[in-house]
Amino acid sequence: MIDTLMLIDDENLFHLVFEDACSLLDIALSIEALDSSDEADKKFKKWFPDDPNHERPQCVFVDLNIIGSSFDGIEMIRKINHEYGNGCVIGIISSSSDIQEIEKAKAVGAQFWIIKSDDIEPRLEEFKKDYDGYAKKKAPFKIYN
Amino acid sequence: MLEVTKYTRDVLLEIAKKKKIYVEGNFLKILKAPADDPEFQKYLELCKEKDSSARRKRLEVTKQVQEQNKKLEEANVINASLVLELQNRMEEVEAAKAEAETLRDKAMEDLDTLQKRTQFELINLIVRVALWVILGVGLLTTILYIYVLSANLDSTIIETTWSNLFGILLTNSFSIVGTIMGVKYATDKSN
Repeated sequence: MIDTLMLIDDENLFHLVFEDACSLLDIALSIEALDSSDEADKKFKKWFPDDPNHERPQCVFVDLNIIGSSFDGIEMIRKINHEYGNGCVIGIISSSSDIQEIEKAKAVGAQFWIIKSDDIEPRLEEFKKDYDGYAKKKAPFKIYN
Repeated sequence: MLEVTKYTRDVLLEIAKKKKIYVEGNFLKILKAPADDPEFQKYLELCKEKDSSARRKRLEVTKQVQEQNKKLEEANVINASLVLELQNRMEEVEAAKAEAETLRDKAMEDLDTLQKRTQFELINLIVRVALWVILGVGLLTTILYIYVLSANLDSTIIETTWSNLFGILLTNSFSIVGTIMGVKYATDKSN
């Protein structure tokens, strides 16, 4: 089970859905849900490089279009991977399945792309099975749809 | 995993028994019951069951709300497009109304011009006929008068007639000219 997981998504209702689904599927012990990439950026900046209190999440789910934020999910992943030292499993969770966006996300180091829908649980369950591979950086990029 | 002390275990069980309050949330996932304590194991199972049940219910409700929100957003988009279409139609109607008003004004103007032209043509005809009548009568009387004078006939009656007739004709012709001028002046003023 993942100890700490972060969700960056502007839709507050989805925070509740995600938290409950993760709890029911025993995916994560603790979930921090943020509604803007700016807020997440501040946190990662603070944790870089040493993260003395071990607050950095083990896994990060980022929405593609985060309304009200200065930058989108792909830029957030790029920043975490290239400016804030990587160190976590990171990917996109979005209702979009645009191939160009998926390729962009892959290029900046996203490890997975989960397509958001009403029935998110089966995708999260599948992700849970693959998580160890992502944590060890062995699993290839995967789209959950 | 976390094993609780005997005191904590007893308190938790007591609270559950008396007040029906159970541990909930992700904290439950790290609590562990000793293998030789089936009562606490059962308690933790019950807690997890209640927590899962509550979460499942909340998840369903949240999904329903999410679905309703999505439908509302879609309806809003449709409404916005309908409002836009309505505005466009209103603008089209306004433009058509303005065009119709312009055409009506033009038609009124044309009708007015036509009426005036007809009026002037009529006046012109009356004037011409009246002048021809005046000239004709004047000429006929004059010729008759000349003939009477040249033939040395009695000119008393024709003389008086010619004089009276000429006076009447001149008066009438001035009256006609005066009327025409009056009509023309009134028409110009009304415009």
